[in-house]
Amino acid sequence: MKVLFVVPPLTGHILPTLAVAEALSARGHAVAWLGHATKLRGLLPEGSTILPLGEGDPAHAEFVASRARSARGMAALKLFWEEFVAPLALASFDETEALVRAHAPDVMVVDHQAMAGALVARKLGIPFATSATTSASVGDTLEAFPKVAEWQREQVQAVAVQLGVDGGDTPDVSDSRVLVFSTPELAGTGGYPPQTLFVGPSLTTRRVAVPFPWEWLEAGRRKVLVSLGTLNAERGQRFYDAVVEGLGGLDAQVVLVAPASMVPETPENILRRDYVPQLALLSHVDAVVTHAGHNTTVEALSHGLPLVVSPITDDQPVVAAQVTAAGAGVRVPFGRISANKLRDAVVAVLDEPAYRQAAARIATSFAEAGGPAQAAEAVLALASR
Amino acid sequence: MSREQTLRTLAGFIAEVLDDELDDDLDIDEDTSFSDDLELESIEFVALAELVQSHYGDHVDFVGWISNLELDAIIGLSVGDVVDFIERSVEAG
Repeated sequence: MKVLFVVPPLTGHILPTLAVAEALSARGHAVAWLGHATKLRGLLPEGSTILPLGEGDPAHAEFVASRARSARGMAALKLFWEEFVAPLALASFDETEALVRAHAPDVMVVDHQAMAGALVARKLGIPFATSATTSASVGDTLEAFPKVAEWQREQVQAVAVQLGVDGGDTPDVSDSRVLVFSTPELAGTGGYPPQTLFVGPSLTTRRVAVPFPWEWLEAGRRKVLVSLGTLNAERGQRFYDAVVEGLGGLDAQVVLVAPASMVPETPENILRRDYVPQLALLSHVDAVVTHAGHNTTVEALSHGLPLVVSPITDDQPVVAAQVTAAGAGVRVPFGRISANKLRDAVVAVLDEPAYRQAAARIATSFAEAGGPAQAAEAVLALASR
Repeated sequence: MSREQTLRTLAGFIAEVLDDELDDDLDIDEDTSFSDDLELESIEFVALAELVQSHYGDHVDFVGWISNLELDAIIGLSVGDVVDFIERSVEAG
């Protein structure tokens, strides 16, 4: 069977497709990706089949996405839809349709933010599943703001109408299957459509080997990983200052992912690195301080690690709220972080066992979820209907 | 109750929602914008609304009020707008 993944040019949305694709390949099915080739080539395994969208301005979509990130709250939501999701769908629809027609997949897996893929699948009558890489995009996060939820629905419907696709109330979401890469133990159950399947995280070891001075880690000392993700470093100066001041001298070793220019000097218990082999490192640490990006959060929780969450924008406040509601971590502010607040939060998750126990419960739910194999089965089931 | 008191009460709740002390860094006045200055996220708005409503009572239906705001109105909302709303509701209640 031919399975086609349609993804936006966003790393966090592409990575979870890898393990699902691997599960499909292992069952003898042919997988391909449709998206921005320059972005995809850096992330997919060698020899992957890529149906490339035009690269008129390869960095443009990512630029727009990052500009949306410079706003926060509702302003970020508005920018993200008006300047990223909708224009990307309009600009890539014709090309997507031509590529899908030529490839003729039996079934598609369409990222929730690659709307053109969903609309093309509807137009051509190809069964498709929606991939919600972050649980926040399909849950009831806008429940308290019905006018905003309505605005968002109107944005989606306006795109569908403009492209001449009839897709009902939610043309961007599959009527048959929505894959959420989390579990109710973390993401709750509120607001998810009935066709939702919680498959748990889809983790992949990145194929790029990142060097790390493992000998720096001392046996018998507790360890904390601090990372704001790949996209937020330039906004992190105050945060990094708080790490150096607040966690310096702490009775723990701290691995801080940050650019050298922003953290010129560190105390003896803090190691600064530009990049780290994150998944491998998680097996060695006792707690993680993160911006609450969905992928980092589920990676850490799958290791049963308690978290200090400092959400910046996008879905991060929602993910952070999921973590604190589940009891698996402590939230600290990002913009107004202080050394004291950060130290208190880190000490709390290290010293108070309740956080670790809650994280372990989530880790168990992740391990018991069907994972990429279940996602693969659910996708195949759509094609054989 | 004076308008200044309402502002201070509201500022206290904002600080609570933001896990913050009221210090020089968080100088809240009527012109403070929830989006641009405080960078309040939607879930923090909801938490703030619940705090305000439980403090003043249900006749200050903040939760209901924000649920009727359009996206642009929320983006443009200032602390003074909320003080106006509270004052209005308290008088009416």
